Amino acid sequence: MQADFELVRRAREGDHSAFTQIVQVYRKRILGTIARLIGRPEDVEDVGQEVFLRLYFSLDQLRTPEVFEPWLYRLTVNAAYDYLRRQRRRGEARMADLSEQQVMLADAAAGGLADREQQRRKGLREAVQSLLAAVSEQDRALLILKEIEGLSLKELEKIYRVNENALKVRLFRARQRVLKAFAATEAKAAKTVGE
Amino acid sequence: MWLRNADPPDAPDDGRLARLFAAYREACPDPEPDPNFMPRLWQRIEAQQFFARDLKRLAQGLVTAAVAVSLLMGVFLTRGETPVSFYTGTYVEILAANQADENHAETGFLPVAQDNL
Repeated sequence: MQADFELVRRAREGDHSAFTQIVQVYRKRILGTIARLIGRPEDVEDVGQEVFLRLYFSLDQLRTPEVFEPWLYRLTVNAAYDYLRRQRRRGEARMADLSEQQVMLADAAAGGLADREQQRRKGLREAVQSLLAAVSEQDRALLILKEIEGLSLKELEKIYRVNENALKVRLFRARQRVLKAFAATEAKAAKTVGE
Repeated sequence: MWLRNADPPDAPDDGRLARLFAAYREACPDPEPDPNFMPRLWQRIEAQQFFARDLKRLAQGLVTAAVAVSLLMGVFLTRGETPVSFYTGTYVEILAANQADENHAETGFLPVAQDNL
């Protein structure tokens, strides 16, 4: 589902209902992308608001409605970077630790442990987040957009304004680092099982 | 654009990584937005617009004040620097007046007395 060009054009001209419709079309996906980029569920809404706030005030800079989606993605990635930078400056604990702890506490307060499926998902999230910690923030975002959000190289080219070959090189290196971390994790797990 | 990209993995390890990422994608579904998402967003937009408007007003006030101060200073400096006018007559008038008072005795030239004529 995509916002049509007419809607984007109307929003650019200051039509509030058109802007509201655009937000309604994209917010769920944008929030999902942010959740996977920042890995901290409790702050996803705030970062999402920031993305749409920036979108509202920068719509007049959009040259053509055709580039709207890459534009929105760029705003999303930049807002996520800004959030991560702020978090780093504050020196807070990593999301995975804190939010999972909060989830556990919430579960306990609700009167029971998380079920098996939730535990499996939690383990998976933690595993992937720790693998992605092997690369820089920029490369992590690039990998998430390509491998998890499923964007093509052509789309990434528009978002990052970098040519395809440069993106391929960056993606290859990032993937190699993650694979190396993956192999190390597996080796460690095998060793633990062997003991 | 939003569909999962189905690029074939380049190596067996890549395949495993791709499967892991796919499982992660499934484990992290898109969250449901809060029902207050839009009202909160409009509140933030309006707050920012008010802030921008206030800032613009403040900037305009400062510019106006700066222009007024500049004008006042200009007037003050112009008045202070007005050259004192020593000469009120024309060149010829002043020359004539000076010549009448001149004493040419030292130069050996004495004005002829009217009585001697």
